[in-house]
Amino acid sequence: MERDPQVLVIGEDVGGQGGVFGATRGLQKKYGSGRVLDTPISESAITGMGVGLALEGYRPVLEIMFVDFIGVCLDQVYNAIAKNHYMSGGKVRMPIVIKTAGGCIGSGAQHSQCLWGLFAHLPGLKVVAPSNPYDAKGLMASAVESDDPVVFIEHKGLLLKRAEDFTFGSDVPAERYTVPIGKANVVREGSDLTLVTLSGTVAPSVTAAEEALKKGISVEVIDLRSVVPLDMDTVAASVKKTGKILVVDEDYLSFGLSAEVVTRLLERKISITSVKRLAVPDVPIPGALSLEQEVVPNERSISAAIAETVGKA
Amino acid sequence: MLWMRHFELACLEGVPTREIHGELHTGVGQEAISAGMVGFLSKEDAMCSTHRNHMHAIAKGVDLRAMLAEIFEKSTGICGGFGGHMHIFDPSLKFSATGIVGAGVPVALGHAYAARLKGNQAVAVAVVGDGAVNTGAFHEAMNMAGALSLPLVVVVENNEWAISVPFSASSATETIAERAPSWRAHGIRVNGLDVEEVANAFEAALARARSGKGPSIIEAMCYRFRGHFEGDADMYRSKEEKERRRSEDPLERTKETLVARGLATLEELNEIEKSVVASISEMLASVRKDPSPSGADATRYVFAE
Repeated sequence: MERDPQVLVIGEDVGGQGGVFGATRGLQKKYGSGRVLDTPISESAITGMGVGLALEGYRPVLEIMFVDFIGVCLDQVYNAIAKNHYMSGGKVRMPIVIKTAGGCIGSGAQHSQCLWGLFAHLPGLKVVAPSNPYDAKGLMASAVESDDPVVFIEHKGLLLKRAEDFTFGSDVPAERYTVPIGKANVVREGSDLTLVTLSGTVAPSVTAAEEALKKGISVEVIDLRSVVPLDMDTVAASVKKTGKILVVDEDYLSFGLSAEVVTRLLERKISITSVKRLAVPDVPIPGALSLEQEVVPNERSISAAIAETVGKA
Repeated sequence: MLWMRHFELACLEGVPTREIHGELHTGVGQEAISAGMVGFLSKEDAMCSTHRNHMHAIAKGVDLRAMLAEIFEKSTGICGGFGGHMHIFDPSLKFSATGIVGAGVPVALGHAYAARLKGNQAVAVAVVGDGAVNTGAFHEAMNMAGALSLPLVVVVENNEWAISVPFSASSATETIAERAPSWRAHGIRVNGLDVEEVANAFEAALARARSGKGPSIIEAMCYRFRGHFEGDADMYRSKEEKERRRSEDPLERTKETLVARGLATLEELNEIEKSVVASISEMLASVRKDPSPSGADATRYVFAE
């Protein structure tokens, strides 16, 4: 915001309160209530005005508090923000960031979804979901700079965690830097199995991989960082080495990221001896924690999936 | 008005010949509203239009040939053939259109907020039909424009029919204009067949917006002479109603006014009309010779980077 006066932040509770998760704290004080605008609960107006502002040369960051709320304004997102560049034959650009929070923290069916598969299915949107503070800052800087619309889904579980509690990516430089969108991160190298994941399930995957090593299973953990673009080069290089793929996805199982990753590997004619998908088994996210833990990938279910994929279940 | 009428008639030629695919929405009969907006807007003022957008674009100054080529699915079209007739974009004039009913008003809200940020005198104009006023997006945008006192002018072309459902059956209020105060907006209902009535209301609304007094709604009453789209069986309106309402042609009305005031003779007006018809016919013939977009380009422009 300091570098580019065209960058705006617009949404519910982003100004005075600084966001319900504190992500925009202090911005209104620093940049004024014109550039950091508190809006009514009017998501269609927020996203629609983002389109108008982009047409005026601004770079709006629109906050949709929870990704689940996208249902009330998906029209502007997929009919205007995602399509205007295309429909105009490249004449107009939509440098908009839709910043939103996803992921399970025990909040039930309407406040817990990830939905990156939904956005990824709609052409014209880049879809980013960081797993740690370092990436979150660098990817956000790239998203704001991007001339394409970016849906930026932050995991609520990670937003509520303190930086020092992260086992990786906890050092965040004060100065500006970028992490390129579309480049996956090999968080942990391994030789027996490729585990592909992102966002909130990266950390439990790394822990599960550490546990697996004790049993003699070497797991390579890849943090995709973004669903669109999907860095298949990094995934393919890993699977060529391991021959086995496990996709861990906190989004719904069917018609989503996990099938996409596996299909693209098959299209590349990469030899795979074992495939497994661990994702939310096509049920809404339940309310009670005991139910949620049953359907959302966690360290325990990831460990079991690793053992199953390498045939040591 | 003549350019608008005959542009629409030229578009109609492309339907039976299958040069235009999909649904084509024309505004024949509603010309006085667009004509009433001509000349008031600069390049800095934005206009967000609808699926029935051709005449609004003409009022904003969008190039007719480029638009006709877009509608006839040519690579020379204003969007290279990627948009089609419902999605006309001309960023140099801040003109855009959407095929989603009501969705243009929040976009205009964004333009209006940009004018506030830039501190200039620009106004955002959203043109919608009467169907759009019952969408949530319309209410959200009007409320925010009122709350922030933004320079937004919403022109509602009330042709009394949202496809097959009459306005009287779908609105809790008798008029749309009377809803305006609930959004701290100014509301006025005008005869949309009368260019001067529209122009006067539009000028006043722009002045109100430019002086920081906030949004306005102009409800312009009119009648859609043709079906909702070309091919619409239009059984929901009686033959008697259609004939009666079509006899109140805004074009004829304007001609009569000009003659009655001694501003032009009927002969002169007929000569002007003839030359407009000839120009558009020439333009259409030329557009028809343009190439279609290459299929190989279909995957371009999904992303800018």
